[in-house]
Amino acid sequence: MAQVITITSGKGGVGKTTTTANLSTALAMLGQRVVAIDVDIGLRNLDIVMGLENRIVYDLVDVVEGRCRLRQAMIKDKRLPDLYLIPAAQTRDKTAVSPTDMIEVCRQLRGEFDFILIDSPAGIEQGFKNAVAGADEVLIVTTPEVAAVRDADRIIGLVEAEEKGEPRLIINRLNVSMVRRGEMLSVEDVREILAIPIIGIVPEDAHILTSTNRGVPVVLENRSAAGQAFLQIARRLLGEEVPLTVPEEPSFWGRIATWMGRRNDGTRGQ
Amino acid sequence: MEELVRLKGDRTGLRLFLDEEAPLEALLAALEEQLRRGESFFRGAELMVDVGNRALSTEELGQLTTILQRWGVDLRAVGTLNRQTRGALRDAGVRAVPSATAPLPTRAESGTRPLAISDALFVTRTVRSGQAVRHHGPITVLGDVNPGAEVLAGGDVVVWGRLRGVVHAGAIGDERAIVCALDLSPTQLRIANLAARPPEEGVPSAGPEVAYIAGGRIVVEPWDLFRRP
Repeated sequence: MAQVITITSGKGGVGKTTTTANLSTALAMLGQRVVAIDVDIGLRNLDIVMGLENRIVYDLVDVVEGRCRLRQAMIKDKRLPDLYLIPAAQTRDKTAVSPTDMIEVCRQLRGEFDFILIDSPAGIEQGFKNAVAGADEVLIVTTPEVAAVRDADRIIGLVEAEEKGEPRLIINRLNVSMVRRGEMLSVEDVREILAIPIIGIVPEDAHILTSTNRGVPVVLENRSAAGQAFLQIARRLLGEEVPLTVPEEPSFWGRIATWMGRRNDGTRGQ
Repeated sequence: MEELVRLKGDRTGLRLFLDEEAPLEALLAALEEQLRRGESFFRGAELMVDVGNRALSTEELGQLTTILQRWGVDLRAVGTLNRQTRGALRDAGVRAVPSATAPLPTRAESGTRPLAISDALFVTRTVRSGQAVRHHGPITVLGDVNPGAEVLAGGDVVVWGRLRGVVHAGAIGDERAIVCALDLSPTQLRIANLAARPPEEGVPSAGPEVAYIAGGRIVVEPWDLFRRP
């Protein structure tokens, strides 16, 4: 039976789609059967970030309105055998799908997958309600900015009201040197306000921009610090005890050590 | 005047009891006065209005709902025992519910704290952005009040946690109400009809503090000073 996880944030542009793409890919890399669903109808992006845009024939709305079978709307990933995407419709809007439809889609998929990841649109209206309707767990993405944290707080209140259990938090785009200069909220600042468990901290990483443009999630690249962070979150979702580390700006010697570590074990410098 | 209108809250929400015998004109004037005094408390509040056994015509009901609308009250239902009133409510599409027992008139306050030891609302969670806690009596929050949240109390507000949202104590006009918190850093603090903002350049929290009205303005001082007789 699959676990249904919704990734949401309230505020736009904090990294929901990037997170969904990377966690889906990371879970599939770890041998899980994964399907990612884009619920951001009318503003779909997940297909682009996963590099699957040109394979779309049918979408979520086609499924809900009975124009195709669920199977036909599932796009198989280019690289990983057990990863699928159900894209959103681009020419419709949020009202094309209802919370009941989402619960039904999740019900049909549960038997065949280990994880169903749902990419929520920004906002607190219908699109958000659709996205959380079928969820077993909700992950909240925020960046260390006052406005993003405020919206995350609002969303946490709404998720609690939906009785989806306590959501867990991903702090995205943390810039350690800015925190150190007092120009950005720290992990402690965010934790103090939101007061929910943190499942991951993703450092600011220039790889994200290029990977998004190329349609290759960063978890597939060994060199990316953000990719490593997403992989750790995936491990935590699988129940592994991975200690939560606040990313440090590597010192010169730290960099050398990381580099040597990678050469020695051939994989990651963690 | 004031006695014609009485506010009471319970698990089902806030109920505004309207005297059933006074002339309608005097009653509506008293209602208007009550809403004016508690303007920010009532704006956006979901309210049940209880008219007891009073008979209201469709036109009279219209006068009542017009006043409520003007002050931004969201009328959820009208409590009534009267058949004519029920008919008027049906015509107007307002939900009718059985009338409840009106609270006893409030006794004259002696002026010493605590003002009310009953009728308090106890909240044991974080009040998050976009959430509002509204109660006719005092409110105690065991948790934080986050930025973007609102706490509106007819009486005192006590926050065992960080108070960072908007808080309004004595929101129906009680100038003796106080606000205290372990970390008193509200976005805005109001008592009765006065408002205060913390200084722009965030002063670090000095531990538990109390805000109250003295000499016509809101003052904030450490709990240790305040509690000394």
